[in-house]
Amino acid sequence: MQAVEAIQKALQELDRPKLQLLALSSVGIGLTYFLVWRRKAKKSIPLGDGWWGHGQQTLRDDNKIYPFKVETSEDEINDLHRRIDQMRYTEPLEDCGFQYGFNSNYLQKVVSYWRNQFDWKKQVAKLNEYPHFKTNIEGLDVHFVHVRAPHRPGQKVLPLMLVHGWPGSFFEFYKILPLLTDTKDDLAFEVICPSIPGYGFSEAPHKQGFCSLDAARIFLKLMERLGFNKFYLQGGDWGSLITTNMAQMKPQCVSGLHLNMLAVTKRGVGMLLSLIIGPYLPFLVGFTREDVRRLFPYFEKNVYDLLMESGYMHIQGTKPDTAGCGLNDSPVGLAAYILEKFSTWTDRKNRDLEDGDLEKKYSLDDLLTNVMIYWTTRSIIPSMRFYKENFKTNPQNRVDARTGIFVPMGHAAFPNELMHCPLPWARWRFKDIRSYSYMPRGGHFAAFEEPRLLAEDFVKFVRKVEGKKR
Amino acid sequence: MLLEVLLALVLGAVVLLVLRRSKAAVLKTEDGWWGAGSPPAGAEDESIRPFQVETSREEIEDLQRRIDQTRPVPSLEDSQFNYGFNSTYLQKVAAYWRNEFDWSKQVDKLNQYPHFKTKIEGIDVHYVHVKPKNLPEGRTAVPLIMVHGWPGSFYEFYGILPLLTEPANADDVAFEVICPSIPGYGFSEAPRKKGFNSVCAARVFLKLMRRLGFGRFYAQGGDWGWQITTNMAQLDPTAVKGLHINFAPVENVGPLLILSILLGRRFPGLFGFTELDVKRLYPRVEKMLVEPLKETGYFHIQATKPDTAGRGLNDSPVGLAAYILEKFSTWTDHEFRNLEDGGLERKFSLEDLLTNVMIYWTTGSITSSMRFYKENFAKGFYPPHARIPVTVPTGVAAFPNELMHTPKLWAKQKNHKLKTYTTMARGGHFAAMEEPGLMAQDIQKFIKVVEGKK
Repeated sequence: MQAVEAIQKALQELDRPKLQLLALSSVGIGLTYFLVWRRKAKKSIPLGDGWWGHGQQTLRDDNKIYPFKVETSEDEINDLHRRIDQMRYTEPLEDCGFQYGFNSNYLQKVVSYWRNQFDWKKQVAKLNEYPHFKTNIEGLDVHFVHVRAPHRPGQKVLPLMLVHGWPGSFFEFYKILPLLTDTKDDLAFEVICPSIPGYGFSEAPHKQGFCSLDAARIFLKLMERLGFNKFYLQGGDWGSLITTNMAQMKPQCVSGLHLNMLAVTKRGVGMLLSLIIGPYLPFLVGFTREDVRRLFPYFEKNVYDLLMESGYMHIQGTKPDTAGCGLNDSPVGLAAYILEKFSTWTDRKNRDLEDGDLEKKYSLDDLLTNVMIYWTTRSIIPSMRFYKENFKTNPQNRVDARTGIFVPMGHAAFPNELMHCPLPWARWRFKDIRSYSYMPRGGHFAAFEEPRLLAEDFVKFVRKVEGKKR
Repeated sequence: MLLEVLLALVLGAVVLLVLRRSKAAVLKTEDGWWGAGSPPAGAEDESIRPFQVETSREEIEDLQRRIDQTRPVPSLEDSQFNYGFNSTYLQKVAAYWRNEFDWSKQVDKLNQYPHFKTKIEGIDVHYVHVKPKNLPEGRTAVPLIMVHGWPGSFYEFYGILPLLTEPANADDVAFEVICPSIPGYGFSEAPRKKGFNSVCAARVFLKLMRRLGFGRFYAQGGDWGWQITTNMAQLDPTAVKGLHINFAPVENVGPLLILSILLGRRFPGLFGFTELDVKRLYPRVEKMLVEPLKETGYFHIQATKPDTAGRGLNDSPVGLAAYILEKFSTWTDHEFRNLEDGGLERKFSLEDLLTNVMIYWTTGSITSSMRFYKENFAKGFYPPHARIPVTVPTGVAAFPNELMHTPKLWAKQKNHKLKTYTTMARGGHFAAMEEPGLMAQDIQKFIKVVEGKK
């Protein structure tokens, strides 16, 4: 009571300008506190639920995890050979390289290798080197590879989920898996590599609407079912979006999120300003010299080039059933469609080369194994539907695009990735970036093309997070 | 204040318009050669060779084998045609194709009109040449070239040909019709070199008409046919007596266009907008942005990676049919996307639809047909011919379900001698095939206006 009286007396003694100043600064301080509090408040997005099986949902809930083996048969291989032999060649235009898409001349070489030298049985045995499993979640059989680290004394083993994208698969991670699970130092990982529902050995949803939020929730349920309540996540392409959604849905479960691809979603005045000022005074907008090198000339690299390369996204995002129909009958067509991306998205300069420089970074065996996963499972159409499901609602207005990400994040920025996201732009949505690295080489399929570089950056990120545990 | 601003804008627009019209540039082009390697020394072989469409047991058996081998993937529940061609209905089409469709009979039907081939700029150009059979004394047939588009063919015109060459009405004009195949489509050889765009096709077709002895003729087209016949009129306005089009998308966005988009809903009378115009153009974002985006995926991939896009379709007839027939469904009426069977057989017979598909299949021309998209957008959306108006008499048949709707005002921006503009009663993108009667009627109406005013 006395204090109140004292304050009242003090206030009465202030003259008008000082009172105004006091009022304003109180508001200012209050506002600042409010904003800081809001920023610190970790928002998450709702989990929701779903059921994607045939018809009506059945009551029986099968939580069991079944071991799974990839298999093949003489029939499957003979059918493939027959279809390859039936390919109807179309002559390419003179001197077109890969500018019109996969060059027909080089395609014949790839196809000939596929027909005569590629050994699918051997590749299946290679796939089965790691243990596979299936389990039913939300009405779908979800496939995953589960690789445990060998017991080494003094080694901390952390759980990790790697999520692939399109047109990749869990197989993209086969080169990086030993680098993460079978390490000789104090840190190793127990890795789960699932297949997105609709891709490869994971059952395809039978209902409409299955988007990255649903995939994220299913993968969270998977980790829970496997007994992991805190784990790391790594992803590129769709895997980047799905793991980001997972971190938004259950931030308390995600120790850290490492991404090799960042989509720039929030545009606006900030971005415009940095685009205008960036080339001339990069430091003013938080750009490094490397950012400038990768981003500009902006129109050519980000608008024109993206237009040139996003035809597939446009047709898959609108008419996936039509786009994939022919590819499901013609293995050669499927290979051309998929491998064109492995050429162009690894380095855009490959478009000018007759062979797309495909075999510079990848072996035909590995590339065709990935294609075979789409071919033998007939999953090209469901894999394409994922685009339409994610673009149904304006991606910029969806709940996950409007919500930040508060878990520790690390980004490996590869120079030939489809789009470059500088650190200041990444900070708009990712509130706790612990590492941001400019990788010396590599493109979109980072784990497949530069497994060692990616593994090194990932481990570096994890060490930072583990070292600075709150 | 607003009124003044509006007046100033309108005045400025009028001034610009007047200035624009005064510079009627002519489209220029260079010669080309599209065969393999370098052009041989000496003159080109200009002979016109009769051509017969043929088939064989092997061709039919191969097709049937491939249909049998198709690996269907079920569509999502209740998705109809919204994700593309519905899988359940596709199996029905494939079964009909496999068991009931008679390609030999259709080949005979194709051969009912005389076909020819002739070499122009290094490639064999195919065309159908139909003359009226019973021309009354003293009457001459009016020459007309009709150009198809994608994913169509010369076959789209088989329904309208008798109506034009043997009109029932005594005072209707009888036409002598040339239906060529665009190089890279059907029985016309595909160019081997990069750069074959609509202006090149126009030049080739002008040479064709000249070779056939037609000094002056009419031209009709939709889809790519619109673009090519328009280019023909721009390249040689003296040769093209009149241009009739059923597709007239805007190429050049000027101030009047923008003004009409902004104010057209409130003041349709100001711009001559009809009820159909307003219905087709508004709400703006939905009709001018969202709908086109939903339907232009094929365009985007074909204009960038045609060889990849066409690769699988050349091995899988069912895949090819799905890809092509999806357009015959959706571009006939957008509402068909919500039907299990895509409404495909409401306006077309499966026999006709599959004959068109067979033309792409038997000639293996799907990839070369797609390349045309890339060649036409190689220099962006604003090539020289987009800026040059059309100065020959033009007639526009605006079908209500056409992909892009063009009000009369917009058509006038490009076609400075717009003689007829008809809002058609019904019909979509494949007008000649879907509504041959209505189309023939409008062509007659247009010709009479042009010939009458001579």
